[in-house]
Amino acid sequence: MQIDVKNLTYVYSESSRDLSVKALDNVSLTINEGEFFGIIGQTGSGKTTFVQHLNGLIKIAKDKGEIQIGEFCLQDKKCDFKGLRSKIGMVFQYPEHQLFAETVFEDVAFALKNFEKELSESQMEERVRRAIELVGLNYEQVKDKSPFELSGGQKRRVAIAGVIVSRPEILVLDEPAAGLDPVGKRDFLSLLHSLHKNFVKTIIIVSHDMNLVAEHCTKTAVFSHGKICAVGSPKEIFSDYNLIESLSLDLPTTAKVVRELSKKGINIDCDLTVKDFVRAVKERGAKL
Amino acid sequence: MPLINLENVSFSYDNNIDVIKNVSLSIFEGEYIAVIGHNGSGKSTLAKLFNGLIKAQKGKVVVDGFDCADKKQVFEVRKRVGVVFQNPDNQLIASIVEDDIAFGPENLGVKRQEIGKRIDFALSAVGMQKFRKSSPSRLSGGQKQRIAIAGVLALNPKVLVLDESTAMLDPQGRNEVLEVAKKLNKEQKTTIINITHYMDEVVNADRVLVLNKGEVVLSGTPKEIFAKKDKIRSLGLELPVSTVIADELKQNGIDLNSEVLTENDLVSSLIGWSEGLCK
Repeated sequence: MQIDVKNLTYVYSESSRDLSVKALDNVSLTINEGEFFGIIGQTGSGKTTFVQHLNGLIKIAKDKGEIQIGEFCLQDKKCDFKGLRSKIGMVFQYPEHQLFAETVFEDVAFALKNFEKELSESQMEERVRRAIELVGLNYEQVKDKSPFELSGGQKRRVAIAGVIVSRPEILVLDEPAAGLDPVGKRDFLSLLHSLHKNFVKTIIIVSHDMNLVAEHCTKTAVFSHGKICAVGSPKEIFSDYNLIESLSLDLPTTAKVVRELSKKGINIDCDLTVKDFVRAVKERGAKL
Repeated sequence: MPLINLENVSFSYDNNIDVIKNVSLSIFEGEYIAVIGHNGSGKSTLAKLFNGLIKAQKGKVVVDGFDCADKKQVFEVRKRVGVVFQNPDNQLIASIVEDDIAFGPENLGVKRQEIGKRIDFALSAVGMQKFRKSSPSRLSGGQKQRIAIAGVLALNPKVLVLDESTAMLDPQGRNEVLEVAKKLNKEQKTTIINITHYMDEVVNADRVLVLNKGEVVLSGTPKEIFAKKDKIRSLGLELPVSTVIADELKQNGIDLNSEVLTENDLVSSLIGWSEGLCK
């Protein structure tokens, strides 16, 4: 499913003269199926407000823009939001704070019980088992435990199992790696890639971690003051030093090094992943 | 004499599993310490032991000569060790910035005039003078953490503990907080203990403590610590990104012949490498 957002505007507390804030200002963006899409920008730039529109958590105000996702027209009053939400999974910051059920099984099964009431008990169990295994947990070991007995990293996995159990085509994650230790983060990203190869077709990730964006994303949009000021590959975005500096954003490590080296006349042409950076340096060495 | 001294300290939340196991360590005045370790390794528990928020069941924690286990002395400890936690929204209590900063000294019975001076000092130390009369709810995450630090500084602490204080901030907010910590360390000789998951924050520390399952398993300069690559990885940690890149280059036949920890290290050694090839 392709996502098409056209001229989207959103104002918080519009009726109040003093408190109203324009969080999104005439934003248009297309996200193609298959992307690993990064959204960056300072705190308060509108990133979260934007992604909360994608599954109808925030509804589009009258005449304030259009969102088309596959067959769903979100500005349409008759839009099937329940159907939409089974196709678009949303993982918020600190998703482990959203766990609520008495057992891991009940927590993960919650979405299925709401979206797919027609499933038999055994079908449901199979889907829950699959989701729990996909996030790298042992089904038999955790299914009857209270989610609150688990470690932080495990809790986050359970929360994600509860989202992917309905097999969403699009997965939206808001700062998913915050607070994870380095290995937890590495495991988590490889989980995202394996889901991306599986039934999840598009991944949209909101992040402050520029190294993560450079390493994993195919495309990136930069938000500032409620507008999108650039869309492109991480290489294109992080080569625009003026843009990054004017928005007080950070460069990924590879981009910083490429920039400093180019000042000394050493040009390294790479896509800013560590692997490609090493390839480009090696190539340059061979030329000399 | 060390400023903070732990002697054979053990702590457990439910008298079952020791979250801190027989730890002995000394931290000296003016040091900049980084504490790293995987989730659940005991880092935050250690932070709470440093200022007597929790009491060790075994062993002794002494801060500037005061015993954390003694109810009468623990307030002296808390005057000396301030902790800033992860979530800025959980730490600010008043509706005006200056009231929030005054809260600590007021509780200690500091005189009114003196409180005014301390607010001035604390706000200028974190570069937030302009926001004295603002409402904390209208500040950004980085600004809120700077106010939380100012609230701690108003107590004139000798030690500032940052317990993942930058984890929820954007890059700019992170830099703001780290710059304040560096400045305090340099200009006021404040001892800094930075507990973090960001390996890039570790490289500028004087000393790094690595925790695993409640024990201090490594202690040394960032160079010494990150030279033990396999050990670091086996402990569930990662190397700084620049070190990872240098390592990858080495595996591809490009040996930079120097320890790389920061972007600057990487840049200068790559320039050296390139010049070497040109000759």
